[in-house]
Amino acid sequence: MRDPADGAPGGDERQVRGPVQRKGFGLAPTGWVDPRGRTLGAWAFAANRITGLGLVFYLYLHLGVLTTLLWGAHAWGRFLGVATNIVFLGLDVVLLFGLLYHGLNGVRVMLVGTGFVTDRQRALWWAGAAIGTVVLVGGASHFLGGR
Amino acid sequence: MRTEPGISEREPFATQTRVWRWTALTGVALLALVTIHMIAHHFVVEGIGGLRTYRQVLEYIGNPVIFAIECIFLVVVTIHAMLGLRSVLFDLNFGPGARARINRGLVALGVVTVVYGLVLIGTLASRA
Repeated sequence: MRDPADGAPGGDERQVRGPVQRKGFGLAPTGWVDPRGRTLGAWAFAANRITGLGLVFYLYLHLGVLTTLLWGAHAWGRFLGVATNIVFLGLDVVLLFGLLYHGLNGVRVMLVGTGFVTDRQRALWWAGAAIGTVVLVGGASHFLGGR
Repeated sequence: MRTEPGISEREPFATQTRVWRWTALTGVALLALVTIHMIAHHFVVEGIGGLRTYRQVLEYIGNPVIFAIECIFLVVVTIHAMLGLRSVLFDLNFGPGARARINRGLVALGVVTVVYGLVLIGTLASRA
């Protein structure tokens, strides 16, 4: 990929401020974790993309795991033996975090994108963070509390 | 890979808008469907992690209402996932030809995913 500073107008400034998000495009994945000139919205966007990709990966992992149901009660029982392991339950908490972040940030993006709340992006993000934290703590204690 | 496509090479604004609306619409539906799915699979049954035994899974999926909800969930989550993947891939600024191939590939992947999921759900429901 071409370096933006290679002779392009404003290239020097772009090196300092980081990648620009152009109208009609999202930030390219190479710029998701670039810390230069990042706002809360830019970090929220990158986290939304990363959690989204994680959830797509989980969708196929989930379908693969559920396939063991086709092999009968014994195979499913063996899977449950692994799934109730503390490490696996910890991954359930990570999954819950991904779902909460992606879902609550998605609500924020939709409210802003549809024009309902265009000037409260940061407040919406923090509200989502507060709600998500409460639900995550409750969910985690439920997942791990049975052990 | 293109780094700076010209205006004429970019995806039409109407298509971008349509994709955004479908992503938002399926996202809203998923808020309800994922909540139902998570509660049903982790917060209803007593036991570690709230996970169901083989017999409990078959009884659960054998319920016609649950069966319908799970089928709708599968279709909606797959559409949302494919649109999300499409957005990430399109952020790489590919040219029109590559974008068309990505579109076809994601439609094929989505169809395979839904068909496999429906076969899985249907097979389990038939065993109930």
